[in-house]
Amino acid sequence: MKFLVTVGLALALLTLESVVVKQAGLVLGRIDVTVVLVAFLALRATLLEGAFSAFAVGYLLDLMSGQPTGLFTFLAVFTFLVGRLVATFVDVRGAMSFALFAMGADVGHSLLSTFFTWLTVKDGGTSSLSGLPLQVVLTGAAALALFPLLRRFEASQERQTGLLR
Amino acid sequence: MLSLLKRYRRPLTVGVLLLYPLLAFLLGGRKGRDPNPIDRAVIAVSSPVQQVLTTSIEGSVAAVRGYLDLRGVRQENDALRLENLQLRAAVQSLGESRAENERLRKLLGYAEAESGPEIPARVVGVNPVAKLLSVRISSGEKDGVFRGMSVVTPDGIVGQVIRATGGYADVALVTDPQSRVAVRVQRSRARGTASGTGAGPLKLENMLRTEDVEDGDLIITAGTDGIYPPGVVVGKVTNLEKKEHGMFQGADIVPAVDTSKLEEVLVVGSPYSAMAPGSTAEGASK
Repeated sequence: MKFLVTVGLALALLTLESVVVKQAGLVLGRIDVTVVLVAFLALRATLLEGAFSAFAVGYLLDLMSGQPTGLFTFLAVFTFLVGRLVATFVDVRGAMSFALFAMGADVGHSLLSTFFTWLTVKDGGTSSLSGLPLQVVLTGAAALALFPLLRRFEASQERQTGLLR
Repeated sequence: MLSLLKRYRRPLTVGVLLLYPLLAFLLGGRKGRDPNPIDRAVIAVSSPVQQVLTTSIEGSVAAVRGYLDLRGVRQENDALRLENLQLRAAVQSLGESRAENERLRKLLGYAEAESGPEIPARVVGVNPVAKLLSVRISSGEKDGVFRGMSVVTPDGIVGQVIRATGGYADVALVTDPQSRVAVRVQRSRARGTASGTGAGPLKLENMLRTEDVEDGDLIITAGTDGIYPPGVVVGKVTNLEKKEHGMFQGADIVPAVDTSKLEEVLVVGSPYSAMAPGSTAEGASK
């Protein structure tokens, strides 16, 4: 169920983002909503559940790119695993610390994505990096806005535990 | 062996989830793949939602703008009447030229180039990945849109269809770093290639140093790439760089179409599948 909720949420957020980007005309300064989702998974999900969910989220992003190459699917799972590792060293509880965590994940995700894109295109690497600071800030803002929603989703998925269990 | 697999089931599963897409990327590279049934199902679910959202947001924005624009409408109306008169005179004069052109063509025995279908479409969303510049349009396979067809507006070139499904298609923009278009200078007919850079102007490449090109020259498609029809406006030359050494000169091309504010487009040309064997796709997204 959590997996399906995550996929549904990712699909809704990506669809909304693509429409907002079209309206606002943001060519380079994008909001990485999928990284926010993957960052949340890294903090709260179990290894298998999170890896499957991150895979699905990355696949959706790949599909929405128009040219599904597998790059964003790989990056989503990789970001999830690194996020889990980092989460053992830092304490992320509030919305602000989650935003910072998501921003860090976005920097890593974007740098890796630029590197792998450069590997195949061998061009345009620096131009896409110029929009990175704005993109990271926007992603942080999205993480702040989405944190209460994600917490609510998480709470709705938790099973009631009682004496009979 | 089985017990080992059972014991390491979790890390193995995660390893497969991590390495499968990486291998697919490294082996498939930037070409991507054709949509499979799962891709088609996801697109079929998400695209109508995109279209509804786009339409409702655009409707709201248009209503607000319409109200604000009412203020200056009388002055604008007067200006448009004048412009309309000038344009009608220009059309009349062009009609004469066209008739003369047709007469001369007949005289020279030129075969009339067949214009392909022009399929209108609305842009319903922008690809949310910053590294691949593409948009989704509201026409797909059932409307006659297929991979490889070119997309234009009355102002100029927009891009090329890279994936088509039932009722939707994805279009790689000419500003994408992978985009290459065979072009020529309208004034001097000099040929070159327009390359996307990911943001801002395109790069004019493969233009011989001896060719006649100047700042402000209009760049149009050459039509030699088998993708884009000839004569479509690409943009204007700026920042011309005439080097003292080497074979080529360089310049920027300011695109005629602002691809970040697209609303309606036309899909023209032939799909890849309809191309004659042996024809090249120099202008395609390489």
